[in-house]
Amino acid sequence: MKKNKIVIVILIVGFVGVFVAYKMYNKPHVNVVETKSDITLSASKILNDFSTDENAANKLYLEKIIKINGTISELNIEKERGIITLKTRDNFGSVLCHLSEGGMKKMKSLKVGQTITLKGICTGFLMDVILVKCEIIS
Amino acid sequence: MKKNMKTIYTIIICLLFVTVNNAQERFLTKNGSISFFSSAVVKDFKADNNQVLSIIDAGSGQMAIAILMKSFMFEKALMQEHFNENYVESDKFPKATVRGDIVDFESITDLETKAEVEGVISIHGVSKEIVIGANITKSEESIFVKGEFNILLADYDIEIPRVVSKSIAKKIKVTFDFNHKPYKK
Repeated sequence: MKKNKIVIVILIVGFVGVFVAYKMYNKPHVNVVETKSDITLSASKILNDFSTDENAANKLYLEKIIKINGTISELNIEKERGIITLKTRDNFGSVLCHLSEGGMKKMKSLKVGQTITLKGICTGFLMDVILVKCEIIS
Repeated sequence: MKKNMKTIYTIIICLLFVTVNNAQERFLTKNGSISFFSSAVVKDFKADNNQVLSIIDAGSGQMAIAILMKSFMFEKALMQEHFNENYVESDKFPKATVRGDIVDFESITDLETKAEVEGVISIHGVSKEIVIGANITKSEESIFVKGEFNILLADYDIEIPRVVSKSIAKKIKVTFDFNHKPYKK
């Protein structure tokens, strides 16, 4: 009788273990729509921060959900993915927002020159600041 | 007199050369794609990066590529986390770069041409000389570069913990696809 009890306990612990491991393995990606943004700022400000001190800006912004506002300077679709370029005060750099699938649906109604607020994940700075999985807020 | 003519010719030829050189501009893409793929016992995995910056100087055939490690998107969030935190340590080394020359750049035409890019690649803070085979198509409006190559993780001091070493291949296949357009300021 005692032996049976031990076996049952081991089995339960085993199942819980497998379940937790499975859950962890299938952990979902951050949901940009539902997660509150960590930082809100303008396109010019984020570009300026990256071009003055990239290391410091990396620490501040990388992998954070950022709400960004600015003026649209370009709307592109490359390989079925939408990219919105935001103008900044700097002539060379801009902010590139790569849209999520949901964001792309709303892209049609946008026009160059319009001001916009987007939310996305910052992945870093090359010539421009790059945000991925962007959603259009307004 | 004859000598004078010769100098004038030389000057004219030089001038022509300068104008030709000026006409050859830089070609660039801000959304090139790089994917890597590893087949392993437990599970194949794949990651895509569509925010690669690549610049070609059409005068010299020099090429420069910059890649943000955090722009690699994995199917599983956990894999992406492990990739960034444990393997490539992207907080310490946020970018990978390639600098090189396209061999025989002038001979490339608007038909797909096989070519080689010779240069230095740096990943995870380690720089290595590399020759990458590519298919290049060149015209006035675009330079299209695509191809694939393999990298060995050990070459770049990327350590895979022994517990998961069976599930991650030592050799990773990298494919790339860049459509460069003339750069206008």
